[in-house]
Amino acid sequence: MGKVLSQTDPVAGIIAACGSVGLELSDVSDIMHGTTMATNAIVEGRLAPIALIATEGFAEVLDIGRQNRRELYKMAVTPRPDPLVPRNRRLEARQRTDAQGAEITALTGAEIARLAREVKALGVESVAVSLIHSYLNGDHETRIGRGLEGVVPFVALSHQLNPEPREYERTNSTAMNAALMPLVARYLKRLVDRLGSQTGLHMFHSAGGMASADSISSRPLALALSGPAAGVAAAASVARRLNLDRVISFDMGGTTTDVSVIVDGKVQIDSNQRMAGYPIRQMMVAVETIGAGGGSIARRDGTAVRVGPDSAGANPGPACYGLGGTQPTVADANIILGYIESGRELGGTVRLDIKKAEAAFAPLAKAFGTSIHDAALGVRRVANANMARALRRVTVEHGVDARACTLLAFGGAGPMHAVSLAREFGIQNVVVPRFSSAFSAFGCMTAEMSYAEQRPLHLQSGVWSANDLSETAARMAERLTDPLLKSGCARDRLRVEVAGLLRYTGQSDAVEVPLAAPYDLAAVDTAFKAIHQRLYGFATDEAWEVDTLRVTVSAPPKQDVSALATDAAGTATEPVAIRKCWFEGGSELDTPYFDRDQLPVDWKIAGPAIIEDAWSTIIVDPGATAWVDAHAHLHIAVEAGRK
Amino acid sequence: MNSEPNVRPDPFTIEVIRNALTAIAEEMSLVIMRSARSPLLREAGDLSSALTDAEGGLIAQGRDIPAHLGIMGSTVQEFLKRVPKERLQPGDVWFLNLPEVGGNHLPDVKAIRPVFAEGAVQAFAVCLAHWADIGGARPGSYVPDARDAWQEGLRISPLRVFTAEGTDHEKLEIILSNVRGREEREGDILAQMAATRSADERLQELFASYGAATVQAAIADIHDQSERQMRAAIREIPDGEYFGEDFLDHDGIDDHPIGVRVRVTIKGDAATFDFRETDDAAKGPLNATPFTAGASVFYAMKAIAGPDIQPNAGCGRPLKVITRPGSLVNPPYSRPVVGGNHETSQRMVDAIFKALEAVVPERLSAGGSTTSGLLLFGGTDPRTGKWTTLYEVHAGGEGARAERDGGPTARPHMSNVMNTPAEIIEAFYPIRIERQALRHGSGGQGRHHGGPGQERHYRILAPEMSMTSMVERCVIPPYGLQGGAPGNPSRSLWNGRMANAGRYPARPM
Repeated sequence: MGKVLSQTDPVAGIIAACGSVGLELSDVSDIMHGTTMATNAIVEGRLAPIALIATEGFAEVLDIGRQNRRELYKMAVTPRPDPLVPRNRRLEARQRTDAQGAEITALTGAEIARLAREVKALGVESVAVSLIHSYLNGDHETRIGRGLEGVVPFVALSHQLNPEPREYERTNSTAMNAALMPLVARYLKRLVDRLGSQTGLHMFHSAGGMASADSISSRPLALALSGPAAGVAAAASVARRLNLDRVISFDMGGTTTDVSVIVDGKVQIDSNQRMAGYPIRQMMVAVETIGAGGGSIARRDGTAVRVGPDSAGANPGPACYGLGGTQPTVADANIILGYIESGRELGGTVRLDIKKAEAAFAPLAKAFGTSIHDAALGVRRVANANMARALRRVTVEHGVDARACTLLAFGGAGPMHAVSLAREFGIQNVVVPRFSSAFSAFGCMTAEMSYAEQRPLHLQSGVWSANDLSETAARMAERLTDPLLKSGCARDRLRVEVAGLLRYTGQSDAVEVPLAAPYDLAAVDTAFKAIHQRLYGFATDEAWEVDTLRVTVSAPPKQDVSALATDAAGTATEPVAIRKCWFEGGSELDTPYFDRDQLPVDWKIAGPAIIEDAWSTIIVDPGATAWVDAHAHLHIAVEAGRK
Repeated sequence: MNSEPNVRPDPFTIEVIRNALTAIAEEMSLVIMRSARSPLLREAGDLSSALTDAEGGLIAQGRDIPAHLGIMGSTVQEFLKRVPKERLQPGDVWFLNLPEVGGNHLPDVKAIRPVFAEGAVQAFAVCLAHWADIGGARPGSYVPDARDAWQEGLRISPLRVFTAEGTDHEKLEIILSNVRGREEREGDILAQMAATRSADERLQELFASYGAATVQAAIADIHDQSERQMRAAIREIPDGEYFGEDFLDHDGIDDHPIGVRVRVTIKGDAATFDFRETDDAAKGPLNATPFTAGASVFYAMKAIAGPDIQPNAGCGRPLKVITRPGSLVNPPYSRPVVGGNHETSQRMVDAIFKALEAVVPERLSAGGSTTSGLLLFGGTDPRTGKWTTLYEVHAGGEGARAERDGGPTARPHMSNVMNTPAEIIEAFYPIRIERQALRHGSGGQGRHHGGPGQERHYRILAPEMSMTSMVERCVIPPYGLQGGAPGNPSRSLWNGRMANAGRYPARPM
């Protein structure tokens, strides 16, 4: 595995990364490319100035929004972020389509010409076009798009980007996409030019699969969650390899924690999320992010204790870093309890100091009349309770019983909290995968090459046509297959999965139901009702519809993971040290420390034990049992129920 | 775990339990919003969820709507006066909407589920949903010229619709036979039931893992925490008696403003809100229950004094609310109340803010559009032959603050219902939205300006459809504070002509 520091120019970074393992770009057959380029641009507000064309009477949808507020009892409400397009760059088009997709006010050629003139006068590079009911009939948007050819280099049409009703969310998503296009499309063009035609470029998108550079250039919004998606996709690939049908991925870092559910080896998708305060409707992995991590600060609030949402972040960092932090954090609790060795160096600049952690915890312990160790254990439990809420939300959202899940822990702090969190939650199995802290890159490498797409179908159960469904699915699959064939995947090894988003007519949210030829109405009906019953506790015989069709085409990964793993399995079974650690119940126990890289396959130990690798620390609590599998993943069996 | 009675759990255990309880309440709203069928619930989110203790003290709530959340506790307390605990069984879900049973108005139907552990009722899960129709004289169950409570719709006294054995179909049928749009209502009822069931299951797990005594001790402590914090916050407001008043435009029947008056007494760490000088009960439907008065006080004090305090029954302990029987905010039960829930409740909040302007002006926002700006459309959709009811609220601009201008179109204070997108309205109702835009410059002027309100134009496409409006702040505009000018009043135009000062239909004025 090679790793290079980020470069100002990502193209240079890619060339350097190849160089670091002795490769020329021309030697590389496929590049799996994850990127935070779009995410950072959205979060930091570095977006290109754009114009918006909306239906006459609807240019101010962006200001009106959904008119609700997020803070219930706060009079100094946090203002909504500024609309993505200032009012003077929003144009209204004289045209109108009705709720059946029929034109009721024609769009004239003269009107298109006027819009093109006005856009030109605004001097922008990119334009978003979002017309009322375009998700039913995109003709007007398409014609305006054509009219803008040669006027601006980039145009985003809402019916292509997000073919679903709700004008505020769709217009926002389209505007965000238009604002990302100049940045992303230019970068990809430069990269593709440099790579030439011999190297396949697969962009890792927010839904946990790949997309071609071409399609990403016109839909850069699909990269919005590329980074977290790679972590979740890696978790999914481990889940498939280990045959785990229900997995919660648990990625705990310093300031935030990402939690996601993987069912039958598949990441779960949520197309309705927010970033930087803006609604984003795109297929994205359903990741619940909470503002809690190793740096979360514990504080006394009257007689109560709170952990987070304030975080010591990287600077000053937890008190034990010795960089000036004086408030007690979750990381300080971990060092006080003996889970991390005092004096250990982090990144060459920080030397962990238990004295500083203890000093930070002393006032808290005193206030509650407990020992420092009990206070540290308590802070860990409260931090875990915050995590548990996130776990609860993702599992409820997807109708999965958390207790039947395996907790897949990674990230800097995930493996340190996984076992106690699992026990709190009634989860019996924890897996800490290999490369747990470089998991995103691992995810890009080992994920299946997969291309996915969703299109509105609006097929009613009352007028069922298996034929329509079958033809639409086949057309979509063909489009998705193309880039895979081009990159050398054999057609007969490709797997096509079709799923429908189904709902009762009139219902808001749809549930994903796997569909298979011959798309028999009775079979789909049974499957839908079973899933609805599982998710919501009831199902009725009312009419339903397949609102959206989702097709995924995937090829098995070219990278053989087991080869990566076995060469690292070691032979040392003796602890590298024995130190005192404190665990729930207040007991102080002699605890063996092990070096993960030296552990052989099938090695097994009963807790308490601490297993360390270069990236993270894995805590095996008393009562839990850990063992190493053939791929060097670490499994931990947690005893049933609470302690 | 510790299951000895009368032992205070350690603060860490309490915090863990507090997190779990809040998560359970939030999960209820998640469940109902995803599975309900009426757009008012699934698109606009006009619903709320809460957990109370075995006596009806609010424990935890979702991030929903203050006007609802403020009456969850009183609903359970009054429910228990009618239905003794001995009659409750595991698996029960009781439905009710009577305003006098701790409630607010008929469209907000509450589902109450007792949660049992160790052989006793330990808590209640309450799920409130605004039904788009509850029967009565007009579609949408808003009757702007109603003169009595029975014109406003079906009055459901506590009714056990679900038991552990399943659905009581006869009772369900009575409800469905008395409301418009029975399929949609049935879906909403099932969604409410599902929400309370998820809460029941989660609470069972919590009680099983910690033991009921520990959880109850933690709940008592969580209440005490909030009480202490609220008392500390009140202590920061200077002692004194402060008077505030504001006015409703009219009650839909008599053409004169109605005064809402409050005397706020801050004394040490407690506050009293005396509404006895408020005008008499109205003939029309702007009466508010004393429970709604309690909700207004709870909201106003949390917003002024303790936005970050965990909202629960403990916050309410230092707050005393006095209303005068026979007044607008403690009317005879025969009087109509439908608009009191969101119009009069906001006016009580306004009156409290005006009273406290004397001491905490920097904490307040100037008057925004403290009206729900309601339009209701009912009729048969010619495309499907089905009955439809659209209930739509319209936000105005946010009031200016000491440190900044108000923002555009935001639902203030007691309300927080979203709008329904034009594309959804057009897909589900025979209506076209011809324009939705800001009313630039409509906010009050001053050192900082109020935010712009909005206008929305509806065209009816069905040959016949009924329309009802209930829009306040048409006569008496949103107020400025500290010398700022008032904002523009609301207006409803009917084919270009002024409708009756915010009410349609109404008697000619």
